[in-house]
Amino acid sequence: MALLALAPAQARVAQARIARITTAAATLEQVRVRLHWPADADAGTLELWAGRVHAPGMDIAYQDMHWRCSLQRSARNGWRCVGDLVSGRGKPMRLAVEFDAADTRAVLGRGNGTIALRRSAATPDLTSLDLTQVPVAWAQVLLARAWPDARFNSGTFDAKLKVETPAKRPLRITGPVTLRNVGLETADASVAGEHLGGRFAIDYRITPARSLISVDGDLRGGEFLAGNTYVALPATPIGLRIDAVQAGNQGWDLPRIEWRDGAALRAEGSAAFGVDANLRSLDLSVHSADMAPLRQRYLSGWLGLFGMGATDLLGAMDLRLQVRNGRLAAVDATLHDVDIRDPQQRFVFDGLEGDVRYSAGALVDSTLRWQAGKLYGLDFDAARLPFASENGTLRFREDARVPLLGGSIHFRNLVIRPPQGDAGADIRFGLVLEDIDFGRLSKALGLPAFQGRLSGTIPNARYANERVDFDGGLSMQLFDGRVAFTSLVLERPFGTAPSLGADIAVDDLDLLRLTEVLGFGKITGRLDGRIDGLRLVDWTPVAFNARFITDARRGVKQRISQRAVQNISSVGDASFITSLQGRLIGLFDDFAYRRIGIGCRLVNEVCAMSGLTDSQPSQAGNSFTIVSGAGVPRLHVVGFNRQVDWPTLVERLAAVGSGEVKPIVE
Amino acid sequence: MGTLLQKRWMGMPVVGALLLSACVTINVYFPAAEAKEAAREFVEKVIDESDKVNMKDANPKDATRKQGGGGMASLDRRFDFDPWILLGIGSAHAQGAPDITIKTPAIQAIQARMESRFNGTLRGGFDSGALGFTSDGLISVRDAGKLELKDRVGMNGAVADDNRDRKAVYREVAVANGHPEWESQIREVFAKQWISSARSGWWYQSGSGWKQK
Repeated sequence: MALLALAPAQARVAQARIARITTAAATLEQVRVRLHWPADADAGTLELWAGRVHAPGMDIAYQDMHWRCSLQRSARNGWRCVGDLVSGRGKPMRLAVEFDAADTRAVLGRGNGTIALRRSAATPDLTSLDLTQVPVAWAQVLLARAWPDARFNSGTFDAKLKVETPAKRPLRITGPVTLRNVGLETADASVAGEHLGGRFAIDYRITPARSLISVDGDLRGGEFLAGNTYVALPATPIGLRIDAVQAGNQGWDLPRIEWRDGAALRAEGSAAFGVDANLRSLDLSVHSADMAPLRQRYLSGWLGLFGMGATDLLGAMDLRLQVRNGRLAAVDATLHDVDIRDPQQRFVFDGLEGDVRYSAGALVDSTLRWQAGKLYGLDFDAARLPFASENGTLRFREDARVPLLGGSIHFRNLVIRPPQGDAGADIRFGLVLEDIDFGRLSKALGLPAFQGRLSGTIPNARYANERVDFDGGLSMQLFDGRVAFTSLVLERPFGTAPSLGADIAVDDLDLLRLTEVLGFGKITGRLDGRIDGLRLVDWTPVAFNARFITDARRGVKQRISQRAVQNISSVGDASFITSLQGRLIGLFDDFAYRRIGIGCRLVNEVCAMSGLTDSQPSQAGNSFTIVSGAGVPRLHVVGFNRQVDWPTLVERLAAVGSGEVKPIVE
Repeated sequence: MGTLLQKRWMGMPVVGALLLSACVTINVYFPAAEAKEAAREFVEKVIDESDKVNMKDANPKDATRKQGGGGMASLDRRFDFDPWILLGIGSAHAQGAPDITIKTPAIQAIQARMESRFNGTLRGGFDSGALGFTSDGLISVRDAGKLELKDRVGMNGAVADDNRDRKAVYREVAVANGHPEWESQIREVFAKQWISSARSGWWYQSGSGWKQK
């Protein structure tokens, strides 16, 4: 600009070529200047070309810049020049420059956006920048310096900045910045923000050795996504303060991070990133006095991944997180009367209180308690979980007892290994069930009102890859006999179509009590049986090989009521054959039987029925005997359909249970 | 299976058959052709919009339920007439030859859910190029930049849900057919089928990169 003063006023055309002009804020290279001033005119035309313009230390560079303006004398012996500025193939901008002995002023604008610059001769190291409705894209070069992968997509900002460019001191930019509707995204789309607004005081200092940025203010609305973390900012302002330092080309250090979202979340801490922009270390203290808004504002991304996007969180918590060398080193979570509730009722924990501490290194102890809970409709009572953690695993330091349905479950030697890298979580434990009221369990599971006490020991259970395997087995006393469960496997316990596998052995059940509960009519005697390869998917049987047979005992009467005969016939698609005329059956309330045996092998929705193996062959080759009668009148029940559609069979069983089947006497 | 084997043997040059027999022995018990057919039926129903109405009307179970039929009556309608029965080998067919069924209630419930998720959410992601079929039978967000930010969270969740369903389907198909050890083979067959049924313009994983169909 000093060059202009040299241009002689009398000349019609003056030209100059300068290889390089260096100022404190910017350097211009390959510069050409041409001034045309018609004789006796009030104004001349100034044209300036620059092959390259760059700002030292800020990576700002423009190519092929051209400015053509109308040059006039101004008050106080100054000059003023207004005209269009074009850089490369960009849209033209309007640049007005005015200077006199005291001040230099420049206003650059396009559309509504303007950047006004002002510098006084008295303070040559201080430049004020007044930016109004400037598209954030204009600040792309600044963003690229701090975060090379990111680009601005939308938004505008206002700023009143002071740029200090003292010799031998850092370049410093300070002042308030207001963001409106800002959108940004990284090249790989892993981090993105939209509609972000806010007002911040910024302080940016640059020396060749290091850069320091401090941002302090409020975020006002918008949303952003970083990996799986989705943050939907509330309408209320969120206080944000970040101090960041970058030494040379090293990664950024954030010695101070503050996030203040009212009662929902307050976080303070520090972080450091590697050269590759990966998190290297983190120390964060988080406090939430009211967890209710957390899910919607901060956790929806993560919960959604685990199919738990609708989980309600209530209560208050404190959390301390420590990351060292890119690995989680410690987590201390302290819960204050927290409720976790799955709206699908898969799980509920109420009144969680206490702490859970995880350590990748030295031993730490913690204790978590809850008041009550529910797992798939099964209520359990208050319990205390004594945790210990060291070297990256979490375990119980002593057995934990959870009261359940009148009895209790003891967890022994529980060890939790959290997910690491590609390996998912791995949980190992032993279980002891004591005296659980099977009647209440039946009721909770929607089964008939079986009465019994369930107990057993599972020495080793292991959860990994969404599957729980149980060694050992459970057994219970039921209807004066015993039922034993072995080979228990639970797949996808909280995921898609939970599946349970088991082998069940039934020994010596009192048939009278069983049939009374089932509303099946009356059968006296004892029943043995097995259900092998039982598989429930979504708690519905899809496969099993079941076989039940009566067990004759000395002194135990074996009688079957007429209603039970009708029901067996109906369910088994069977007919009865008797020594009596059909109509005479109605005269008897019950019949003596020798044996009853029935089997069903369920595969692909079809039950392959079978009966007593030693039954005498009847007239149809494919038939099988279910009830073999004894005495007079002698009555046999024989099935003819070996292949029965399972849903139909279930419908019939349900009808029998609800008493909808009326005895029909032929 | 008998017909299939015969066709295979008759149509195959002897030398080629000898060369291939080495490979075939690995999967000798796995009914690849039946699995492929089952996978095709499953995948097409999830992906194909136009056939949706027909498929629902053709559901044999609904039809029998409405008529109130039961026992053998409903069974008869579930199976097509098998000409091999005339030769007296119908029972052998049923017992010895593996058939791949995908008609268990659990699988069908998952399929229905996948179908509605595909039409509601995922199809748009495939059309825009944001999603792709992976080579292991799952789906993945291959280019999140193709999605509006507001849709990205929902899409991530839908992809996670769908992958859970997919894993469950592969497992359940194997287990429902009495061979849990087939799970990985079933998964491979489905992985190929998803790609093969993909519409033109959709992306799929090939080797280490993505290809557009």
